[in-house]
Amino acid sequence: MEPLPNFRLLRPRSVPEAVAARIADTHTRFLAGGTDLLANMRSGLVDTETLIDLSAIEELRHLEVGAAGLTIGAGVTLETLATDPAIVRDYAALAQAAQGVAGPTHRIVATLGGNLCLDTRCRFYNQSESWRAGNSFCLKHGGDICRVALKADRCYAAFSGDLAPALMVLGAVADIAGAQGKRVLPLSDIYTDDGKACLMLAPEDLLVGVRLPSPDGWRSAYDKVRIRGAIDFPLTGVAVALRREGRRIAKLRIATTATESQPILIQGLEALEGNTLEEMVSRLEKIVRKQLGMMETYLTSAAYRRRATLVITKRLIQRLLME
Amino acid sequence: MKPIKHKGAGQRIPLVDGIEKVTGRARYTADLFAPEAYVGRIFRSPYAHAEIIRVDVSAALALPGVIAIVTGEDCDLPYGVLPIAQNEFPLARDKVRYVGEPIAAVAAVDDTTAAQALKLIRLEVRELPNYVEPKDARAQGAVLLHANRADNLERAVHHEFGDVAAGFAAAELVREETYHCAEVSHAQMEPHAVMAEYDAERDHLTMHTVSQVPYYTHLTLARCLKMDAARIRVIKPFVGGGFGARVEVLNFEIICGLLARAARGTVRMRLSREETFLTHRGRPQSDIRVRLGMKRDGRFTACEMEMVQRGGAYGGYGIVTILYAGALLNGIYDIPAVKYDGYRVYTNTPPCGAMRGHGTVNTRHAFETLLDAMAQELGLDPIDVRRTNLLQAPTETINGLKVLSYGLPQCLDAAERASGWRERHGRLPKGRGLGIGCSHFVSGSAKPIHFTGQPHATIILKLDFDGGITILSGAPDVGQGCSTILTQAVVEVLGVDYSRVRIIANDSVITPKDNGAYSSRITFMVGNAAVNAAENLKAILVDAAARQLQVTSEQVNCMGEQYCVHGDPDRAVTFSEVVAEALKGTGTITAKGTFTCPVEFQGGKHKGAAVGSTMGFSYSATVVEVSVDEELGTIKVEKIWTAMDCGFAINPLSVEGQIHGSVWMGMGQALCEETRYENGRHIAASLLEYHVPTILDSPPIETHIVESIDPNGPFGAKEVSEGSVASVPPAIVAAVENAIGIRLTELPLTPERVLKALAARDRRQARELRAQPVHQHGVA
Repeated sequence: MEPLPNFRLLRPRSVPEAVAARIADTHTRFLAGGTDLLANMRSGLVDTETLIDLSAIEELRHLEVGAAGLTIGAGVTLETLATDPAIVRDYAALAQAAQGVAGPTHRIVATLGGNLCLDTRCRFYNQSESWRAGNSFCLKHGGDICRVALKADRCYAAFSGDLAPALMVLGAVADIAGAQGKRVLPLSDIYTDDGKACLMLAPEDLLVGVRLPSPDGWRSAYDKVRIRGAIDFPLTGVAVALRREGRRIAKLRIATTATESQPILIQGLEALEGNTLEEMVSRLEKIVRKQLGMMETYLTSAAYRRRATLVITKRLIQRLLME
Repeated sequence: MKPIKHKGAGQRIPLVDGIEKVTGRARYTADLFAPEAYVGRIFRSPYAHAEIIRVDVSAALALPGVIAIVTGEDCDLPYGVLPIAQNEFPLARDKVRYVGEPIAAVAAVDDTTAAQALKLIRLEVRELPNYVEPKDARAQGAVLLHANRADNLERAVHHEFGDVAAGFAAAELVREETYHCAEVSHAQMEPHAVMAEYDAERDHLTMHTVSQVPYYTHLTLARCLKMDAARIRVIKPFVGGGFGARVEVLNFEIICGLLARAARGTVRMRLSREETFLTHRGRPQSDIRVRLGMKRDGRFTACEMEMVQRGGAYGGYGIVTILYAGALLNGIYDIPAVKYDGYRVYTNTPPCGAMRGHGTVNTRHAFETLLDAMAQELGLDPIDVRRTNLLQAPTETINGLKVLSYGLPQCLDAAERASGWRERHGRLPKGRGLGIGCSHFVSGSAKPIHFTGQPHATIILKLDFDGGITILSGAPDVGQGCSTILTQAVVEVLGVDYSRVRIIANDSVITPKDNGAYSSRITFMVGNAAVNAAENLKAILVDAAARQLQVTSEQVNCMGEQYCVHGDPDRAVTFSEVVAEALKGTGTITAKGTFTCPVEFQGGKHKGAAVGSTMGFSYSATVVEVSVDEELGTIKVEKIWTAMDCGFAINPLSVEGQIHGSVWMGMGQALCEETRYENGRHIAASLLEYHVPTILDSPPIETHIVESIDPNGPFGAKEVSEGSVASVPPAIVAAVENAIGIRLTELPLTPERVLKALAARDRRQARELRAQPVHQHGVA
């Protein structure tokens, strides 16, 4: 293993302190579980000499189920999200997405915030420094050419977090603390389709947590395709939430991960509502396929990942209708 | 010899070094406490193929904290595990031949300084065309990787035994198919690490390393550092797996020795996982064409195989691998005629080497898969076809291999029964299937690599005033459990309690030389040496007991913890009393045991005949049950039944563990493991991208131990750790065929390959449907 480079560690006790530390020096990184960040630091992918450790901030570990819905602090671990009885019962997609991340030892330390702010991934980027140097680097880090799309003027690295699509179909909003105090954004608004920097947050912004409305008849599920049963990042991940009326789908939301540089909430599904799966399936496929922008960022082909996305989307809907 | 008391042999005991491992007390090379050690780092080639014009280390050397730098100029003697094929330098000299090849190495006071120094090394080269695929390397006009190897061919092997033409002429079904097996790697748990301590005043070098072959490391250090071997000491601490990755001395070991001497101190290297993958020595990518002739009843008439192995940039074990791949076409079934053409090709990729099931896995995969297809075509059960072609042991194969014990028939019976084959094969719901594969492997290569005239294995037992017996062994335990097996062998012969016996392994100044942990030789060869040593010690103790009991030695009965007069158990002396008597006048007792494979087992007369020769083959039959998801193209292995003939299970617990490991490794190669290069650059050099199956992907594995009691093995034992690997990939391919009607010819069976084959199947079925005559049912 490559040794960790030297760094300075700050350990604020509150959200304002953490934000203040960022305002004082924007060239820092927030550290939560560290399962992604520290590995990337070892690979020379993180240009910072200061880490702001968030583990001492009580507020970020807040988890509350209330009448209005669910509030989850950014520091809540994936292990908790995967096993909390209320989440497993009412927000199944979230529990399933958390359960599917990496392996048990990662989930014990990895957090909601870390997974939502996960760096994008690409086979030309997630390599050692000597590998990337030998390949003359790439647009995402140290170079000026995207190795996936040589003529592109942007980076196509893929967002690979599992939680974001699950939270999106559950109607999550994000609580952000920044220089001007706190604000609330729909979760999809914190992302943009740019592999180099997929987060729309300002340097001093801190993701404090997310809030979900009460389930109100929505059922949800998440599944992903990967080579192995554990450890691997998704080749594609799909979350579905729906409300049903008998065999008909009254309301439908679908979101994907690992298909673009940001998680995608599929648009235009309203037109399908009120139909059975059989009645809508070909139109559904068309709508979803159109919004999948997979590039060759993985060792597994984009064509396969596209096909698999459609397969698991249909299966998830079927499962939710059968339950 | 057969077990008598069953105190040692046949016992399910935990590994003797298991406690250290599960409690975390075990110290591996990277854990050794050495605060004085400098950090060693390697500067590696970013080019796949280039002439080196200049390596400028002056700026790096000027960096404060840099203690020493070595380059290709510091070692001008090539090395390689086979004395006939030494063409690798620890640090590249004239050329670099793969991305990641070491060019220079730095010793510095800490990691940061060493990393900075690497960035200051300037490399000037003239780039050459690079070849990742054998066909490109063999193409006309291709630049030679090694000037003395035309067509980039390391070795071509042409063997023919029996009358192949007549065999095919007599066949009633002849089929030919080509197969492709991806390159795979050992992915052993412990990354490479080494520590070298140079005593400048005495000109002594001590090396701690992860080796499976400390003796070869010792020899190579002496050669490459031009040091008297007596000045070198090699120690193998706990090692976290090898599977063949460490059965030859590796570049970083020699580099570390060179660096320590240059730094006049201690240098430690901890290679990253990526560097461990780049050091490689795994199973080569293989393109195989196989042709089989069969009678209508499934009897083989002839076999022809052409094997092309992508060997990588250097020789290593390559010649042995390409020979094994042909030799082990024999020794499992009765085939009257076999022709083999093997080609080992140099390419600009990290060198391949030996990996669990050395040389035989891809050969076996092709053979078994074609066998299965032909059985299907003839309407025969694939297990019955194998039964039709069994050897009649004892026998000698057409290429001069001796088969004395042969438990394959019992393995087939056990796997068939356990899996419910008769009731279930072909009767499972669509998408679910059963398949079978068989395999075998040597219990030690009967002819050692170096001709020394020495025994093939040596064990020393030391017995002293305390009544403790110390086994001094040079056999490297790298997790496979040989220290446990040797302990059990000694306990079995002497009948003493385990608490009296300790084993000290692998320190060249203490333990006897051993050739190493490769070709599954230790249980058989070193096990026999241990039995021999224990018998020699027992004879001394029996004589001492006889003196005390005032009877003749023949009248003494050794009961282990006490010795008594035969037929009069009350006239007894304790073990401690016997030891006290035995030590009188002589002091500390050492007893030596040795073993040598008799020359008649060392292979036939033809060139390359030594490879494949052994005193005993292990046999394995594996049935796999899979389910296939036709929409996603994914294969789930539901259950595996493996029956294995290991001769005699000295430790059934350890035997089961080895079978599990082999089966699991075979499953990884079959389903998801693949070493991939793009422009010569390894793009899967991490455990995230090199997909070793996880426990969630691992099915229940049911093992059945078959004991054929080999006439020459210790207590009848043969090898167990390699023989099952090769049975698994063909069993999975057959099971997938049984489930969904496609027979895949490329490994691994990725979802993309499955979907491609399914699409071809659907097109074929549609064509057949169109081709059928249209029946008119118009008028009743």
